[in-house]
Amino acid sequence: MLELRRVSKHFSGIPAVDDVSFCARPGQVTGYLGPNGSGKSTTIKMITGLIEMTAGQILFNGNLIDDDIVSYKRRMGYVPEEPHLYNHLSGAEYLTMVADLRGLPARPASERIDGMLRLLSLYDDRHAGIAGYSKGMRQKILIAAALMHNPDLVLLDEPFSGLDVGSALVLRSLISELAARGKVVLFSSHELDTVERISDRVVILHRGKVVADDSIERLRSLMELPTLEAIFSQLAVEHDTDSMARQLADLIRA
Amino acid sequence: MRELIGRWLHTRAQRLPLDFRVLHRQFLLRVVDLEALSIEADIPSYLGQFAGVLIMISLMHGFGLMVFPPPPGPETWVYEQARIADIQLVIGLCAVLMWDSTFPDKRDAMVLGPLPVLPRTILLAKLAASSSVLGIALIALNFASGAAMSIVFGGGSNGMIRFFLGWSFTLLAASAFLYGAVLAIQGLGALLLPRKLFLRASAILQLAAFGGVLAGRFLHPWLATFSELTNPAHRTLLAWSPTFWFFALFNHINGTLPRELQWIANRAWIALAIVLTASLSSLALCYLRTMKNTVEQPDLEPGASSLAWLPRLGSSLQSAITLFCFRSIMRSRQHRVALAFYWSIVFAIALSMARKMITEPPHRVSNGLIMPTILMMGFAVVGLRGVFSLPISLKANWMLRITQLRPTSDYTAATRRSLQLFGVLPILIVAAVLAYHFRPLSHAYRHVAFLAVFGCILVELSLIHFDKVPFTCSFMPGKTNIQVIFWGAAFVCIILALLFGAYESQALAQPRQYAILLAWSLAAAVGLWIFNRIHARTAVLYYEEVLPEVIIKLGLTVLPAAQAQQKP
Repeated sequence: MLELRRVSKHFSGIPAVDDVSFCARPGQVTGYLGPNGSGKSTTIKMITGLIEMTAGQILFNGNLIDDDIVSYKRRMGYVPEEPHLYNHLSGAEYLTMVADLRGLPARPASERIDGMLRLLSLYDDRHAGIAGYSKGMRQKILIAAALMHNPDLVLLDEPFSGLDVGSALVLRSLISELAARGKVVLFSSHELDTVERISDRVVILHRGKVVADDSIERLRSLMELPTLEAIFSQLAVEHDTDSMARQLADLIRA
Repeated sequence: MRELIGRWLHTRAQRLPLDFRVLHRQFLLRVVDLEALSIEADIPSYLGQFAGVLIMISLMHGFGLMVFPPPPGPETWVYEQARIADIQLVIGLCAVLMWDSTFPDKRDAMVLGPLPVLPRTILLAKLAASSSVLGIALIALNFASGAAMSIVFGGGSNGMIRFFLGWSFTLLAASAFLYGAVLAIQGLGALLLPRKLFLRASAILQLAAFGGVLAGRFLHPWLATFSELTNPAHRTLLAWSPTFWFFALFNHINGTLPRELQWIANRAWIALAIVLTASLSSLALCYLRTMKNTVEQPDLEPGASSLAWLPRLGSSLQSAITLFCFRSIMRSRQHRVALAFYWSIVFAIALSMARKMITEPPHRVSNGLIMPTILMMGFAVVGLRGVFSLPISLKANWMLRITQLRPTSDYTAATRRSLQLFGVLPILIVAAVLAYHFRPLSHAYRHVAFLAVFGCILVELSLIHFDKVPFTCSFMPGKTNIQVIFWGAAFVCIILALLFGAYESQALAQPRQYAILLAWSLAAAVGLWIFNRIHARTAVLYYEEVLPEVIIKLGLTVLPAAQAQQKP
């Protein structure tokens, strides 16, 4: 189980994540939602260990992640929000490098990489430079790199970004399948329909604070709202969206 | 004075179109790739420091000429030939380092394509930016030495002015010829070859041009006297050597060219006309025809297929880091050219030695072998270590941090392997070949054995407090004092190499002394290795990343005026 206890992160004194606590359980898909700048990616980066917390604790299976960060990293797979990759490598070279850095045995890793590239329809382009890849292809490379070592904890930050409809459907099923196999899956997305379909519970963040943490059914019944989109709008959207759109159109005309 | 010049330049620049000015500034700064620098880097200062290195060279030449002028006669012509070859070397290396910066790249096409900017404005701005850099290099390298040459060789005030103007024009023409030749080769390649093939061929052409420029300087023979210059045996050399063309051109302008050599000066004019026409027309066609293709094609083509088997270079981590280093150097233009700066010195030394090997009988083992090979090893390892400090993509470093499952000492070992493979090993191979020219052979190969240990010492010195993965941290060129470091390091290296060379040449002849030297060197290497290993046990790998210091918001808020309207 992944557990965050009163986690905060301040940038130059400004709180980006403020006293956040929640749990993500094995066998469940936990959706992590919030508007732009609400602190979702910052939270996920703290969970990966990429950035330090200002305060709080993060535990995985009851242990503080900092106590044995190496064994924690062995069990974690991460798809970042932006597809930043080493563009001078080919897709196959990048994945092989990740496998080598993770210390996976060469032959099985190579077979696994080939298999993943085939399933993700990247096999024919595996020797082309990542610089030439589309956003969707880069996203697939990130997904393959995150899953190749069969992690117990899967952190997905906007994993559907840039994927075509077919690939997004595959990923959606894959997320459910990973959870069904007992993995802890935490993913953030702006696609509320997808989150609603595959998440067992959602955590909604607004201005760095958790404003909802429950199963979608319970949130629906508690707030008496029909959809996750309506719940999200009520909890995390401050402005009248129609009015804002009108103002933007007026501004362009002026 | 500085303010006056600045104001004059500013007033002149204001007359140019705004889009040209904006682009020129951008392209000028991009001669140094922004991604390769720290966010705190000061690029104009960085370029200024490189100009400072060239100014120092010019001052040293000028001072040397004023204090020790060559006697009138043949040595004057040799001096002129050598100086033209020097300028060609520097300008040629600059042109090679700026290789495809004048051609439209994908980033320009993507960013500027949708904007109302004409292709010719982009072309002119890029040409102006490249010319500015070459112009600065030319002025910096020639201002003191050119003035000194005019005083020493000019003879009288009129002669001095004529000499200086003629010399300056000749260097300008020689530079334009070299840069134009580089552009013409690329332009014709881009027009005639399919883009994918051109991108691959371009990297090979760049390396070939690099070798050509170095060979042109260090394997070039000098012809000192009139009889040598008119000797039919040298006619082919004179007909095909740009150095001699521009040497003749200068003497033609200066009024000191014998009538029999006029045909060589004519060759300079013809070559200049051909090269400028070819380069400008191919460049213009490139901008008109290939701009769209550039958008459609990826800039990087690592190959249609890959080797099924790749060498395992130690543990999986060592393999990963070593192959990462190799691919980064081979595929990244910025890293290749940065390394080329150091390796040009290595090649220059090797070519000078190779020239002796071809033309002279075998030498006794002495400073002639020891000092150059030690310097080659020094520049190769230091250059590689320097290039390791240039980042390849700071934003992609997250992957290395996520996969950091082993202690820092393993990463240090992987970096050590890369330095040994790509820095020490090639120099040992070259030194082993060059050593064949020295006698006795046993002494020569003893030196190669020592060189291997010396290379290991340099590698360990390079690794002191290098708690990083190569290519993951940003260098801060604007904050370093390059000219002082460069000259300081060069001075110290040469002095040490001279002193050490004298000692080692004695030791090679006496087995006991050689054994002591080797033992001490081995002890130093092992001591440094132990030091680095102990340090790495407690060290934490360091990554420099561009982290947001402030929270970024879209700022989509309701305007106060609209709120006021909504209230009623």
